Amino acid sequence: MQEFVIRRAVTMVLVLIGVSILTFCLLFLTPGDPAETILRQQMGGRTPSAEAIEQFRESQGLNRPVPIQYVDWVSDVLQGNLRQSYYQETPVSRMILNRLPATLELAVAGMLVALAIALPTGIVSAVHKGEAPDYVSQFAALLGVSMPNFWLGYLLIIVFSLYLGLFPVSGVGSLDKLVLPAVTLGSGMAAIVTRLVRSSMLEVLEEEYIDTARSKGLKERIVVYKHALRNALIPVVTIVGLQFGYLLNGAVIVEIVFQRPGLGALLIDAIFARDYPVVQGLVLVIAVIFVVTNFLVDLTYRYIDPRISFEGENA
Amino acid sequence: MPYYTNILEPLIWVTDEMELEPWLATDWEATGETTWEFSIREGVTFHNGEELVADHVVWSFEQVLAEWSYAPGWLHIEPGNVTALDEYTVEFETMDPFPTFPGTIAHNMIAIQHPDRSRENFEPIGTGPYQVEEREESQYVRTSAFDDYWNGDVELEELTFNVIADPNTRALSLQNGDVDVAFEPPKSRVGSLRENDETNVTTNLSPGAVYVGCNIYKEPMDDAKLRQALNYATSQTDLVETILSGIGEPAKGPVAESIFWSGHENLPDYEQDMEEASRLVEESSYDGEALGFYLSNEQVDGELLAQALQQWYDEIGVNVEIQVVEEASFEDTVRAGDPHLVLESSGTNSGAADYLIYETFHSEGDVNERLYADEGTGIYNLGDEVDRFIEEGFQTGDQEEKERKYEQALQRIMEEAVVVPINYSEYIVATSSDVANMDLRPIPEMVRWTGLQNA
Repeated sequence: MQEFVIRRAVTMVLVLIGVSILTFCLLFLTPGDPAETILRQQMGGRTPSAEAIEQFRESQGLNRPVPIQYVDWVSDVLQGNLRQSYYQETPVSRMILNRLPATLELAVAGMLVALAIALPTGIVSAVHKGEAPDYVSQFAALLGVSMPNFWLGYLLIIVFSLYLGLFPVSGVGSLDKLVLPAVTLGSGMAAIVTRLVRSSMLEVLEEEYIDTARSKGLKERIVVYKHALRNALIPVVTIVGLQFGYLLNGAVIVEIVFQRPGLGALLIDAIFARDYPVVQGLVLVIAVIFVVTNFLVDLTYRYIDPRISFEGENA
Repeated sequence: MPYYTNILEPLIWVTDEMELEPWLATDWEATGETTWEFSIREGVTFHNGEELVADHVVWSFEQVLAEWSYAPGWLHIEPGNVTALDEYTVEFETMDPFPTFPGTIAHNMIAIQHPDRSRENFEPIGTGPYQVEEREESQYVRTSAFDDYWNGDVELEELTFNVIADPNTRALSLQNGDVDVAFEPPKSRVGSLRENDETNVTTNLSPGAVYVGCNIYKEPMDDAKLRQALNYATSQTDLVETILSGIGEPAKGPVAESIFWSGHENLPDYEQDMEEASRLVEESSYDGEALGFYLSNEQVDGELLAQALQQWYDEIGVNVEIQVVEEASFEDTVRAGDPHLVLESSGTNSGAADYLIYETFHSEGDVNERLYADEGTGIYNLGDEVDRFIEEGFQTGDQEEKERKYEQALQRIMEEAVVVPINYSEYIVATSSDVANMDLRPIPEMVRWTGLQNA
């Protein structure tokens, strides 16, 4: 166990270094000068003078060689300093902390919606393979993955806010403001998870120990929910874990449509505005969340299925 | 979102006719080639109860000069060159003779603040009709009426400005009754917002214009006949009516009609005439090559406008290839000299719009110099005569003279057809039928909320 954690920790650090170098390079390879973009925006659309641009570059260290800029940035980060946004005198860390709750709330709620839809539907679909409930659920899943988030978001707003008057159109802070965004975000993921639960369930139901359980005269409900489900959930947990990371990013569109000040919306704004410190800081934080989630997923395996070992020797 | 001029105010305001109006300054005059004296209004109170005096004006300008690296170049003043002569008089010394200084500071960003304000906690202290009560980043700013406001009463005791970045969500929020006023809903929704009994739509011309710039230093765009042909092939009225859903005015020049010296009425008229356009193409040196037409992905309605133009140009035998470039790299692309045609929008949010013509169409204008710098020239400046007209207009303090000079410059620009004008911009405000007296101004950033009422 200890060895496993150390091994993973080293890998995680390497991954984070890789991600940060890649982001740094990509930012500098992207056409568009941050100095000009930022000054233009600050000046209300006017083109800044060459002098002002030069001054800005100098003040932000942008005229130094890229590798040196990277090393500078890393040494700042190691001291816990994610730097300041080019636009406002706000530390990037504070911007991220301000925005993180809204995104986490949305991702968790989206995940719950997805699971609430996917687990029962997937199981019913597998148990009734080839029958009407199966077709209905497969069709719904197909519909779910095919619907773009922004479209579904507006649709839900028109139906549930404008016509039925049940929920506010946008904002954060209370539960009623979370429902529509969570459904929008969760439904896309529900579709993927439903299909996974179904196929995983079908596979497990074919296994010998299920036949054994059945032959012992156990009720079908117990066979399905107690014996089969537990094993069927292993791949589901993997996907759900990975999807959680994607939800953080996938929240972008939902955050924009429902005006939720979250990380996704912040990242998009920062990329288009060439606000390098914000992009770098955010990508790093999102990468950390990703690798940590992955690590937790691996840990969870062991508790779901004790046959999986961390050392990989007595599997 | 246009709210800060209701909290912090500038020395000079801009009227509906885009002229300068005394605000926190009652008077100003040039006392020398490079010096200006401003008289500060007496009896104006800050939100913290203190009276506005010359020192506050000096402090505010020093802040602007220190905080924004571009401010000295923009305002033509250096730190240390703003002095309080007495309690209510401030002197500005510009770096060079700068006749448009008063108009330049008639701007929503150059506001007078009290030194006790806190930037970190967002606690601005201004002189405006509303003061900030509470703010949540990226969500809202809640303000309340300031009882001691110097310039009359306000109708509403409390105003909250919500941040709703997505235009569709803004419109839906209005329809749902979550907000009472929605700035800039999508054009496509204007029709339904107008038809709905519970919502109204108001529009106002702003000092902005959209046009296609021709790179006259790149073959075959160096041929005036080809450029005139493109102008004859374009119907601004059709573009405004169809693609822009009737929002905006058909343009005849590259400077917004709402700016008094735009010369709109007296510019050459290129009414759509496809036969004339085809004839001019025939006569020109154009031999069928594809012309690169570049636009930024953030240009609102840009792609649709470009496609409509492409179709018309195709009809007169001119082959145009549309290239959409991401906003942040658009200027770089243009500067590299690749495009034959570029879709541009220009505008101002200060009283002095002179820089629009100077920087774009004068050979030494800043924008111009950096555009396609290889040839030592901007992409659509004609030089010589046009430069002279612009210089004379820029240097004069006389409005009529300015109007005459700039109009002459714009006439030459349009005769040589270095741009294809598209539209003068209009902005849209949708309101709930529960509110009345939405008082729009030419500069959207300077919209006043003091008259807004519950209907």
